[in-house]
Amino acid sequence: MNHSQFLVSGFLRAPIYNGIGRQINQLQRVTLKFCKSHGSSQGMRNFIENNLVDFAKQNDSVVLYVKPRRHRSPVIVAEYLNGDRKWMSCHNRPSEEILKWLSLLSLQAGDTEPIRYRKHWHTDVPSIQGPWNPFTHKNPGHIIAEYPHEGLGRVFKAPQSATEKLLKIAKKRNESENKKE
Amino acid sequence: MSLLRISSRVIFSSNATALLFNQQKAAIHRFVRPTLFEIRARKKKLEELNGPPKPVPRSEFLEWNHDAEIYAFGKRLKEDFNFQLLQQAFIDRSYIVQEEMKQRSVGVENPLVNMSDNATLAKKGEELITEFVISFLNLSLPKFPREGVKAIYRHLVSDEVLAKVSESIGTKELILSSDYPPRSDVYVNTLKAIIGALFESSGEAKAYEFIRDFICTQLSQVDINEFWNYGENPKELLEEICKDKKLGEPEPRLIGQMGKNTLLAVSHVGIYANKKMLGSGFGEDIQTATEEAIKDSLRNFFKTNCNMKPFDFRMPVEKVANSLNKPVIAAASVDNI
Repeated sequence: MNHSQFLVSGFLRAPIYNGIGRQINQLQRVTLKFCKSHGSSQGMRNFIENNLVDFAKQNDSVVLYVKPRRHRSPVIVAEYLNGDRKWMSCHNRPSEEILKWLSLLSLQAGDTEPIRYRKHWHTDVPSIQGPWNPFTHKNPGHIIAEYPHEGLGRVFKAPQSATEKLLKIAKKRNESENKKE
Repeated sequence: MSLLRISSRVIFSSNATALLFNQQKAAIHRFVRPTLFEIRARKKKLEELNGPPKPVPRSEFLEWNHDAEIYAFGKRLKEDFNFQLLQQAFIDRSYIVQEEMKQRSVGVENPLVNMSDNATLAKKGEELITEFVISFLNLSLPKFPREGVKAIYRHLVSDEVLAKVSESIGTKELILSSDYPPRSDVYVNTLKAIIGALFESSGEAKAYEFIRDFICTQLSQVDINEFWNYGENPKELLEEICKDKKLGEPEPRLIGQMGKNTLLAVSHVGIYANKKMLGSGFGEDIQTATEEAIKDSLRNFFKTNCNMKPFDFRMPVEKVANSLNKPVIAAASVDNI
């Protein structure tokens, strides 16, 4: 399938040049919503019992909220520094999968839709040699040259003419005959 | 993830056709559509009366813990803050006034709000920003004139740049001020107060590193020649520089011309002093080309041309701090900017 037909195209980007000075984690808070009794929240409950504290210790820049609510399916809501809010249903998901999704969310920079990169690099200052003009990379010596100029007017790589070829052959033959004598 | 979603939708639609032919389709109750219609109509009516709904602060949600948010904020920046100071850095004066008004409206005669605002911290932060940014620029652009450095400094500490930085590190929901979303000057003040709080809790070097990593880096991908227009008269400036360096009188010379009297006319002018080329420029006529050539020669003197060395954003802060003690650079940072 040709992905460029439905993938939005764009360039690599980072909020406030994140990473040039200091890399800051873009995920700022996560809310885990679940039911204390319903079966669909089993995986979420297991995650909260077994993995939540470790996850919180590893990601101390993320604020974690746990919100029980009756008879509703479990949900992850992730909020990012750029104001994005990502809602994810975790209905019947096992705890391992929830951990994987959370790890993915903690590495993202927002509610990022996949984009087709037009280039694998991006710069706002594309030129380091200034705009082109007809004199770019021209030899300044040509300014004072007088035309017609023998050197400058010379044809590059002129093909050998038939006369030159014949003369060359004749010269070779004469040389070989001289050697024999 | 959307790919997953799309594929799941495809699977779902095939299920739906299966349902159509084999089983009864799950029905949506008949009351749903008219109810949604009614809710939408009432919302629209309310909006016509009261204007669009105001944005709800995240802090008004049930799941909100201000202390935890502030702790995470410090950890996000990879800094060790004094918790009380960081708390104070987010309190704007307008919030305290608002709280006092609230108490008065209830009937308290001497309202007591046990809080202090971030004014002192912000003042300290502003001082640190000024001295660091100025000496960072002076060290990075040693040949750039003072006025130019000042212009870049003014851009860096402008409300737009600092407010953007402040919002991007996540102060929006943490700021305690009378209006939401906060005004841009409140954003700026908070950022300055955070730097002041960092200075108070972890010392000067950490505060300088913070300024370097979050404020100075805003100079990347920016054309620094945009901020200063080479003074009133660039030609006089060039003549002065040539006089100082004993290079002789700079003179413009036409070194190329093409397409004269056409739409695509271009003239190429070089600036020479003592038969040495200082710079060149081009334009549609000789005058424009000369002006460009003068600017190009100035850029060559200032070392700020297109292929200049990029800023060193990993410059050790000790180097900048040491240069602050030198009278030349210190004077530059103090003289009223």
